[in-house]
Amino acid sequence: MNKLIAVVLACGISTLAYASEAKLESIKVATDVASVERGVDNLMNSCHSCHSLKYIKYRDLVNFGIDKHKVDGWRAEQSLDSALLAQMSESDAIQAYGKAPPDLSLMAKARDGGTNYVYSYLLGYYVKPDGTTANHIYPETKMPDILGMSGATGEAQRATIKEQAHDIVSFLAWAADPHAQERNRLGYYVLGYLLVLTGLLYLVKNQIWARLK
Amino acid sequence: MPSRIMNWIDQRFPLTSFVKHDLTDYPTPRNLSYWWNFGFLAGFVLVLQVATGIFLAMHYKADVAQSFDSIQHIMRDVNYGWLLRYMHATGASAFFFVIFVHMARTLYYGSYRAPRELLWWTGQGLLLLLMATAFMGYLLPWGQMSFWGATVITNLFRATPFIGDQVVVWLRGDYTVGDATLTRFFSLHYLFPFLIIGAVIVHLVALHTVKSSNPSGVDLAHKDNIPFHPYFTAKDLYGLGVFLIVYSIFVFFMPDSLIEPANNIPANPMQTPNHIVPEWYFLPFYAILRSVPNMVGGVVAMGLSVMMFAFMPFLDRSRIPGGAHYRPIYRLQFYLFMVDMLVLGYVGYVPPTSQTMMIGQIATLCYFGSFLLVPYISKVEERWLIRRGLPDVVAVLIDSEEQEKNKRKAKGNK
Repeated sequence: MNKLIAVVLACGISTLAYASEAKLESIKVATDVASVERGVDNLMNSCHSCHSLKYIKYRDLVNFGIDKHKVDGWRAEQSLDSALLAQMSESDAIQAYGKAPPDLSLMAKARDGGTNYVYSYLLGYYVKPDGTTANHIYPETKMPDILGMSGATGEAQRATIKEQAHDIVSFLAWAADPHAQERNRLGYYVLGYLLVLTGLLYLVKNQIWARLK
Repeated sequence: MPSRIMNWIDQRFPLTSFVKHDLTDYPTPRNLSYWWNFGFLAGFVLVLQVATGIFLAMHYKADVAQSFDSIQHIMRDVNYGWLLRYMHATGASAFFFVIFVHMARTLYYGSYRAPRELLWWTGQGLLLLLMATAFMGYLLPWGQMSFWGATVITNLFRATPFIGDQVVVWLRGDYTVGDATLTRFFSLHYLFPFLIIGAVIVHLVALHTVKSSNPSGVDLAHKDNIPFHPYFTAKDLYGLGVFLIVYSIFVFFMPDSLIEPANNIPANPMQTPNHIVPEWYFLPFYAILRSVPNMVGGVVAMGLSVMMFAFMPFLDRSRIPGGAHYRPIYRLQFYLFMVDMLVLGYVGYVPPTSQTMMIGQIATLCYFGSFLLVPYISKVEERWLIRRGLPDVVAVLIDSEEQEKNKRKAKGNK
């Protein structure tokens, strides 16, 4: 069964991977609470001033298992049931960047390449010969190199930034599809049930058809 | 007591005779292969779509300002809302997959031939209804691809002679795809499945009049029939189990593989996506649309490409029964047609370049060519097969079919 899923998955991914022109780095997102917590921590520090996550409420973070004290720190006076709206108002953001920064709730699913795209994009900054920074995944981007990849010196720093990006993407993957784990868990039960049921139905069919011979 | 109740009902409603006529005594060829499971599966998916759709409609809001949010509400907050929505979205693909196999089987075994033309044509009507329903449902999430897909397709009605512009406005309820379009598509998306159910009943009445075809093409009088129940209910249920396993793999483990990433971005009329693609089940027809340089020509070609199937009873002039079974050239033609469909699907999926345009145009020619050559090829093939010497069975079959036809004619004359 796993093999079949893997084969089918591989077909699905290969069609996805084809769609984007720039070469994306392929990653496997983490689903454990610790990685997601580091991710949301990074995100609250680096992204949340401009980007909203309007479909995520602070309570969702607590329910997932993120440290309640941290969540309380982020939300300050806001209620647990308020959404993770950006600190900067949209009009200020438009004034600063020329357009509103996109909401990140579904970002992990909203680009060809999905999480690979977001990861490669976050790390895709480089310094052009004229001294300005640019991004080779999304050249028209207005977002500054928030993780500092283009200015990184040495492998150690780059590795740290990569880890940060990986955690952020892991959080975004959870945010885009918070029921993924529940869905997979339920999926194994459903498949197990269906395999047994189908096996039995096959035997029933054979038994009934045996009357004909 | 139970028999008294049954008597009471039977005096008022033909329940027993219905069950007898359509299930326990309904004669079904015993040699049907698993390719004959797909009609039942299509019916099952229809029920699945209606059931999940009704529950989705309880939480969905048809309003440009709210529909995208309401989908996220379903996905995140509604209990098992994600399951309902993924079942419904995957179900649309499953429906087309099942219907395409069902149609391919009909083409391969020549099940569209006399006396099953009306059965085939009601199926053709069902295909059109299904396509319309799927197209309207795709607008409802109000994502980028929803909006631009609906914009592109409604725009095609500009090709209507004289009143094209008015027709487009009439369809959209506005000059652009907007709130009026969304609400009417929602309303019709809820209505059409019930029209489909009605058409399915007509399809089944036609089926139960002419009975199922079968792989050998053996005439009904000669073949070995068994009752539908319990033999084919058991076989269909086993097939359903296999279907549900594949379906569940998609629903639980890769549901987003069937959803365009761009549809996770709310519709934005000010920003066209880089590359507008329809859902996979429309790709071959979309490729035909794009292959014709002239818009009106493209629309006509696309419409015809869907309707070509209806002409098969007229196009196929061979008297050899059993579809591709006894007909090597027709069989080859069938497989080439399948390959052509895949090529068209690929061409419809990739962004157009001069190269893919050319491949698309060749594939479009092959598409229509394979239909238009059927009358000629089927005649030549028949002559060649008869000269080569038919297997005895087939010769007998042709004779008996001929006799049947004469009998029917004689009856008609009286």
